[in-house]
Amino acid sequence: MSSISPNDLSNLDDNSKKEIMTFLESENSKQKVQMSIHQFTNICFKQCASNVSNGNLSSQEETCLRNCVNRFLDTNIRIVKGLQGLQ
Amino acid sequence: MALSSIFGGASPSQQQSTTATGSSSKVAGIKEQLKTQIGQELAVANASELVNKVTENCFEKCLSNPYSSAEEGCVDQCLAEYMRSWNVVSKAYVARIQQASTSGEI
Repeated sequence: MSSISPNDLSNLDDNSKKEIMTFLESENSKQKVQMSIHQFTNICFKQCASNVSNGNLSSQEETCLRNCVNRFLDTNIRIVKGLQGLQ
Repeated sequence: MALSSIFGGASPSQQQSTTATGSSSKVAGIKEQLKTQIGQELAVANASELVNKVTENCFEKCLSNPYSSAEEGCVDQCLAEYMRSWNVVSKAYVARIQQASTSGEI
């Protein structure tokens, strides 16, 4: 794929620039969700997948993963509230 | 959010207007190219993040007991288990976000 030159970018009209900004914002927020999922999987896999058995998840492991995500978010919310209370 | 989306399964359709000469279609071509390029770079970033995390986790799980015969296939199974965990975590997180947005928390 040929790369886009700075000249091409400066030729974009205002509407196109706005469209690209909207696109970037939506991709950015999607990417934040993706990175959170990477982070949670990393943490919760360590907690919940005690031994690698056959490549499948047991129902306990699945429950553990779901609880892990929810407790992590609970902790996050509580910390944010606690910090707001300190102000 | 399905796992396939991190490899750029939902990238916008790539339309290069090579035959058109009008400036408006040229602008449209640049826009599409920008979006495609951004989507591809994000997909690469996500894939490499996944490879790093799986390697880190499965290295810890499988090579803690080096040279034992029991670790045969451990990395493959660990990878499968990690991908399944990724899907479970993703569903749980998305469900939580939806729940929070309907109840007006965020």
